[in-house]
Amino acid sequence: MDHHQPAPEGTPLYVHLPFCVHLCPYCDFFSVDGKGQDVDGFLDTLLLEAEARAPKAPRTVFFGGGTPTYLSEPQLQRLLLGLDELTGFRASAEEVTVECNPESLTLPKAQLMRSLGVDRLSIGVQSLDPETLAFFERPHGPEQALAAVEATRSAGFERFSIDLIHGSPTEELATTERNLLQLLELRPQHVSAYGLTYEPGTPLHARLEREEFVPQDEDQELANLDSVHRLLEDAGLRGYEVSNYSSIGQECLHNVNYWHNGPYVGIGPSAASHAQGTRSGNPRSIPRWRAAKQADPMAAAFEEHLDPRARLGETWWLGLRLAEGVDPEVARTTAGWVAAEDPAVGEAEALVAEGLLELLAGRYRLTPRARPLADHVGRQFLV
Amino acid sequence: MDPAHIRNFSIIAHIDHGKSTLADRMLECTGSVQKRDMTDRVLDDMELEKERGITIKARAVTIFHEKDGERYMLNLIDTPGHVDFNYEVEKSLQACEGAILLVDASQGVEAQTVANAYLAIEANLEIVPVLNKVDLAHSRPDEIAEEIENSIGVDAADAKRVSAKTGQGVPELLDQIITQIPPPKGDPADPLRALIIDAVYDEYRGIIVYLRIVDGTVNERDTIYMMGTEKVFEAVELGRFSPKMLRTKVLHAGEVGYFISNIKSLGDVRVGDTVVLHKGPKVEMLPGYAPPMHMVYADFYPTASGDFEGLREALTTLTLSDSSLAFEPVTSDALGFGFRCGFLGLLHMEIVQQRLEREHDMDMIQTAPTVTYRVRYADGTEQEIHSPGTLPDPDKFEELLEPIARISMMVPTEFVGVVMQMAVEARGEYVRTEYLSQSRVQLFFDVPLAELIYDFYDKLKSGTKGYGTLNYDVTGYRADKLVKLRILVNGKEVDALSSIIHQDVADRRGRNIIQRLRKDIPRHQFEVPLQAAIGGRIIARETIRAMRKDVTAKCYGGDITRKRKLLEKQKKGKRRMRSIGNVDIPQKAFLSVLGEGEKKK
Repeated sequence: MDHHQPAPEGTPLYVHLPFCVHLCPYCDFFSVDGKGQDVDGFLDTLLLEAEARAPKAPRTVFFGGGTPTYLSEPQLQRLLLGLDELTGFRASAEEVTVECNPESLTLPKAQLMRSLGVDRLSIGVQSLDPETLAFFERPHGPEQALAAVEATRSAGFERFSIDLIHGSPTEELATTERNLLQLLELRPQHVSAYGLTYEPGTPLHARLEREEFVPQDEDQELANLDSVHRLLEDAGLRGYEVSNYSSIGQECLHNVNYWHNGPYVGIGPSAASHAQGTRSGNPRSIPRWRAAKQADPMAAAFEEHLDPRARLGETWWLGLRLAEGVDPEVARTTAGWVAAEDPAVGEAEALVAEGLLELLAGRYRLTPRARPLADHVGRQFLV
Repeated sequence: MDPAHIRNFSIIAHIDHGKSTLADRMLECTGSVQKRDMTDRVLDDMELEKERGITIKARAVTIFHEKDGERYMLNLIDTPGHVDFNYEVEKSLQACEGAILLVDASQGVEAQTVANAYLAIEANLEIVPVLNKVDLAHSRPDEIAEEIENSIGVDAADAKRVSAKTGQGVPELLDQIITQIPPPKGDPADPLRALIIDAVYDEYRGIIVYLRIVDGTVNERDTIYMMGTEKVFEAVELGRFSPKMLRTKVLHAGEVGYFISNIKSLGDVRVGDTVVLHKGPKVEMLPGYAPPMHMVYADFYPTASGDFEGLREALTTLTLSDSSLAFEPVTSDALGFGFRCGFLGLLHMEIVQQRLEREHDMDMIQTAPTVTYRVRYADGTEQEIHSPGTLPDPDKFEELLEPIARISMMVPTEFVGVVMQMAVEARGEYVRTEYLSQSRVQLFFDVPLAELIYDFYDKLKSGTKGYGTLNYDVTGYRADKLVKLRILVNGKEVDALSSIIHQDVADRRGRNIIQRLRKDIPRHQFEVPLQAAIGGRIIARETIRAMRKDVTAKCYGGDITRKRKLLEKQKKGKRRMRSIGNVDIPQKAFLSVLGEGEKKK
């Protein structure tokens, strides 16, 4: 396998921390039960990889998981200080986000993170309905979720986001709406609202296959999408991406870079990186990742090189997830597409004719009808 | 070699009864192939043959065996075992004086073996019954010998008992071939007459023609003349198969081998043709093979991205080595330009389709197979109908006739009731029962061929736990209450989906087809109504609901490669479909006209 290339200064940085108190049955990110894990040894390898691969002065940093707040205060401190020493992110980053779950987000932890350069928390509330939280096997209850938001505020975080999942078979539309209104009382400036999906390989998918429960049907899912969208927009949170809502200026810069098909460096097991059409990723296992990085911190477990045509398609697919849509010229530049003819524009025009895209101020974007069909639209641009 | 020291024979056996293994063992114990060069099944050289464990193309190989201090040349002409390849079997048998009837001593005689044995008897071949797999603990050689006598009428009391796997009895069998099978009759001094028994196309050497020399001698540099196609060629290279091609420069009466000329056009070689010396003495043509009878027709169309001329070329190349395949251009309202192909049977059709895809990299849509119907007009004239789409309106003709097959099924006695019931449900008429042994019977029915290809064979297999075997002969045509079932997709009739069926089952089949189409056709951005109709009467309808939700909730940095690949894969699946109107129909939907069993293949 080829090697990761050193990234230019300013490149966004993603750090993957896979440990969790309990593995959620719907989650298909790489995560492990934290019990008995050698977290300190993990941090040794992570800092080793950061030294070799993390960009200097990253514009944004995102600590995802897993549950980053599974780490103890000393471990968090070691990670944040060590990473700052290697990259100088505290001085350079416009946005430093840590994902956290209510059960492990304590006030001292929040205060510690705030003091070490973290300026945004993304809180995995998921639901305020006890039955739904039980179905999701979340280790927290509604009160803990509210307490976590309180701690976030008390620690001085002006920016935070709340994650929520709708479409659980335990919920009626009315439950979903009531939950959401209750969450909105916390006045978040950013909400990620995900429709529940059953990803192959997850325990929830296996239970669905065994017909242990009846999933929501498409009509219910569509009603949820519609209602959630309306309630969030009514509360002044603009849907800036398929599942993401924020007040103006509060978008997650780190994530927007993904949808702009920009470059990024990911460190930690399973973390992916992208630079100019080369996508690569780390092993999806802690022992394999550690062994690989100890042998060669630059090594990648997979790598693919995309040509300009493939990059053009990818740029449109990702870009159309954003409400701002895609400017064909910007997409061409991003993809390195130099030929006179732009195949993506032809596709876009056909979709305009079908009523799935609209052209506004030089940018193509999904029509309201096409919001639940973003994959269908995106597929047309891929090779 | 002097014809008295030549023996030409083939092996008749059911699939899995050990024919290819026996051939391998014969090659090995005569030293024709070194043990270290033995790959499993030396004779099956097509990729597909090895994979499926069946022999499709007849192959020839020459081995030498010593008996009583004299050296004999034995030409083994391999034959396919499946009923669909009867035509190939006939070609092989024409070139032989004897046949080994190989029967698995644990399984017993199968219907196809009986059919092929009769072909051999009709061709006046000496039959040498052999019981195989006698090394197995559960073999029943005495009982099976009785089955052979009862079903084929050949004395099997002294049948050789061998194990092709261990080689037990194989040298003795070679001796027996020499004593029991007569030598060929031809005289090397007579004027040349040779029979073309096969032909293959070799990328580097051009067309390789398989020959059985009946009379006379042919030498390299001889100018030869093919009587049927009236073509003249020079024999550039002559040789035999040992089993690799071995140049001998000459072939004599009684021998089996090959010749290579500068034959460029596939149409110049016709299997069954007679080869003589150009401007040599006048001789009579050898009796050619009977033209193959096509039992099943299906259309092949290039997919949207496929190409029509490429498909024509691929089919032309296939017909060279498979002269039983026929095709002609056809036009469908729904699918555009394609080819209607005639096959010997369903397996033959499947093999052709796979060879087109694998060997010629063709991307195509295949319609459901149909049999040849006949319409009889008021003035008594008849017309063949190879495709439901071309059936005239019912008021234009008097009667619609369908082919009837006399089927023979060999089944263990405990399944007789089940099989009887299945045959009746398939509109079969009982003919007779024959008892082969205490545990097995042979049942005869007359069944419409269309029912046979619908799903009868699969039902027989599952209904008898795999023990039942079947063979059939088309015996004639019969008028019946047949109607055309039309299928409409999004309001538009799709001729490639219509079928001709019996009136009594029309409603049920119509519903089944529509329900299967509903599962097979993907959802679109709009509702797609599906209807089945007879004449103007709608007998079944379903609606494929519009796709309204198709969105990935989470798509972040770590997901991009995987999610993109998933979308690309879904898109690729769509490219293999045919667009009719604005509805994309996948290949499997075109086979929904077939029974449930057929679709699983």
